[in-house]
Amino acid sequence: MKRLIACLALIASPLAAQDFSEGSEARSWNLYAEVPATFEAEVVDVLCALTGDCPDDCGEGKRQLGLVRAADGVLILPLKNSQPAFTGAAVELAPFCGQTVTVDGLMLDDPELGANNLYQLQTIQVSGADRIKANQWTKAWARNNPEAKGKGPWFRRDPRINGIIATEGYLGLGLDVDQAFIEENF
Amino acid sequence: MRIRIKQDAAVALALLTAPFAAQAAEGTRIQVTGEIIDTWCYYSGVMGSPDAVVGSAHQACALWCSAGGIPVGLLAEDGTVYMILKVGEDTESAGGDTLLSLAAHTVEADGMLYERDGLNYLVVANVVSDMDITNKNHDDYGNVPSFSIPDPNK
Repeated sequence: MKRLIACLALIASPLAAQDFSEGSEARSWNLYAEVPATFEAEVVDVLCALTGDCPDDCGEGKRQLGLVRAADGVLILPLKNSQPAFTGAAVELAPFCGQTVTVDGLMLDDPELGANNLYQLQTIQVSGADRIKANQWTKAWARNNPEAKGKGPWFRRDPRINGIIATEGYLGLGLDVDQAFIEENF
Repeated sequence: MRIRIKQDAAVALALLTAPFAAQAAEGTRIQVTGEIIDTWCYYSGVMGSPDAVVGSAHQACALWCSAGGIPVGLLAEDGTVYMILKVGEDTESAGGDTLLSLAAHTVEADGMLYERDGLNYLVVANVVSDMDITNKNHDDYGNVPSFSIPDPNK
């Protein structure tokens, strides 16, 4: 038994000590809890991994996708892609559903707030290919919303968002509350 | 002796790697009440403190992030965050209509909790009640970010 515990400790210690920032070329976003991290991982549909509800295509970017890190089997949840535009990472990872990739980006590490194994995805690389920037979301949005073509950022032109704001206001409490707030603050 | 050590190492390796290979996890049925939040702004601090990136102050940004496919969470009254993977029959947790319509609302949810690697994942079977936006914090924090409401004077 002692030998078994010793073997477990020997095998587990390199995993616990692994530094995923080594070799990372991730750009800083000046986030208080950011830690650069590059690692190899399998792209998984999180709902599938947890419940067994598994479409063939991981949901085509409409489900949250995760990264099961090869070194330790930890499920990393990417919250964000590399665009400073309120955009997630599922669309970026969807083409790699079920594949093993190497990603680079920033981990968010704040145990006090509960930020564990959360990630901002900057690049994706399949073995033998060039790194791909995780910045395709707005192009996909433009393809899916041709009627919203125009100037300004996507979130000012998105029909669904504008529909909600038109009825509930920017504060979500009704147009009268918005009007009073705007008169007082602008 | 050498064979015994190899056997021990093999057992240890099997014990360590078994959870990695596992697919479906064991869930727990829960009922939880909390606010539907934008998890990127909440965890990253990019827009300010956690108290400022919830509620009416952050409603517009919560809509942008939800429509943009950023994971949506349920912030429970005890501070626990549950990452929402499904609501009813709607599996579109990345930019779907159901979660967009609930941005910043306080809801009571009934569903299955899955815990994995320090995060809580919630499969909502039923939104028992939708209390709309109850956290009216714009008087304390203004609109966050400050550009979320276009300046009518420009």
